[in-house]
Amino acid sequence: MTTGNRKAKDRWVRAGLLLIAVLFLGIFLIVPLVAVFAKALEEGVSVYAAAVAESDALAAIKLTLLITGIVVPLNLIFGLAAGWCIAKFSFPGKSFLLTLIDLPFAVSPVISGLIFVLVFGAQGLLGPWLDQYNVKIIFAVPGIALATAFVTFPFVARELIPIMQSQGKEEEEAALTLGANGWKTFWRITIPNIKWGLLYGVILCSARAIGEFGAVSVVSGHIRGMTNTVPLHVEILYNEYQFVASFAVASILTLLAIATLIAKSIIEERSHVH
Amino acid sequence: MSIEVRNLSKDYGQQAAVTHINLQINTGEMVAFLGPSGSGKTTLLRLIAGLEEAKEGQILVDGIDTQEQTIQERKVGFVFQHYALFRHMSVFDNIAFGLEVRSRKTRPSKPEIKRRVEELLRLIQLEGMGDRLPAQLSGGQRQRVALARALAIEPRVLLLDEPFGALDAKVRHELRDWLRQLQKKLSITTIFVTHDQEEALAIADRVVVMNQGKIEQFGTAEEVYQRPATPFVRSFLERSGVRRGVEEVAVQAGVI
Repeated sequence: MTTGNRKAKDRWVRAGLLLIAVLFLGIFLIVPLVAVFAKALEEGVSVYAAAVAESDALAAIKLTLLITGIVVPLNLIFGLAAGWCIAKFSFPGKSFLLTLIDLPFAVSPVISGLIFVLVFGAQGLLGPWLDQYNVKIIFAVPGIALATAFVTFPFVARELIPIMQSQGKEEEEAALTLGANGWKTFWRITIPNIKWGLLYGVILCSARAIGEFGAVSVVSGHIRGMTNTVPLHVEILYNEYQFVASFAVASILTLLAIATLIAKSIIEERSHVH
Repeated sequence: MSIEVRNLSKDYGQQAAVTHINLQINTGEMVAFLGPSGSGKTTLLRLIAGLEEAKEGQILVDGIDTQEQTIQERKVGFVFQHYALFRHMSVFDNIAFGLEVRSRKTRPSKPEIKRRVEELLRLIQLEGMGDRLPAQLSGGQRQRVALARALAIEPRVLLLDEPFGALDAKVRHELRDWLRQLQKKLSITTIFVTHDQEEALAIADRVVVMNQGKIEQFGTAEEVYQRPATPFVRSFLERSGVRRGVEEVAVQAGVI
């Protein structure tokens, strides 16, 4: 075979692979993305606006924001603590802790939700006891927060552990020998060194907390205006054949997803510069 | 400040790192911990700094037991092998760190900190480079910044872990002679860890030869070279050919 022939063949292979990638992306990403907005705006902007501003939709948006506001700070603290422990110290059971952190990735979200129903539900382990004190967890906001926290807790920790491990602990040790106490070392050395990874983890965690469906669906009880999050509200509207309203609310989630991707790429670029 | 180590032991789980170390270092002396990797020399240095906790034994600095002190109270200047400069801070902020983190009562004023940092920058011959980030410096420059940062807190003892290990030969020679002069000028008790026999014999007043967590010999370069105390010391010096070149080095260092 001559070199020219081989070059031509290479070009064909490259074009073929590129075509497959573009087709795949088109069918699985671009078309659905366009479809969401097309369907949402099918009957005009005013119908779209009305669907988003409708009281149950607003309640769902508020609840989703509340849950995210509870869950993300919790997982931020947990992720920092776990990352710190795993990266800076060696102790027995360390690999077990790492496995535990990955557990929510391995367990189906629906099962995660079910676990909480089995523990806190009316027929659950702690149900009767909680009932005595009139504490409602399942089919109420605390249950949704718990289920969401469980599903999203690996995000910050998983982001931080490799960064902290690769940085080692010499800079912290240097700070200590220079007279800084633990608190000052943490705020002046540890945090600035991991800030981009931390931010990235928080963004991923928020995105997942906003979009979580399976686990929340099991514990929520689907009470409109009260325990419906945005993804659940989309499903309910869809099942009631309110397609335009359903897609309109879905478009909010889509926009959030796009914003997350943009933020993610900005952070990645920044963190490479520094 | 004098340093006295009494019956010091440390292990990592099953593996002993240093066992029953006894050592007496005089005020203003420059001592090298010399040995192959895994001989426990870095562990011993970190124990003296307070970065590791001993299983048993005592470390006395100027007669005071350091076990009672926190690492912050010990005021040791520690220079790490890979410098451990704060990567997000400028050279100036790196050097100022030890002064900035002091409690309000003992912290020098801003102009005073600035004056001291600039003095240190002059000392390490990096005047006007205070605004640079560590990543913008060469290896030798980073090492000097790490040294200035350690000196800023006016440490009682200076500890250096493989201070020239990551540098090329020419810079290494320059820097070690410069460090030796500086150490004499400040007359600060100094310990450095090295696996390079020539380096240890060239600039240290006395050399601790270590092997498998124990001290094989502690003496001047001349003693270690002319009267190796154990077969290990003899073979360790011979292996690198140092015994052939050592005379020249010893003359330079004013030993012979």
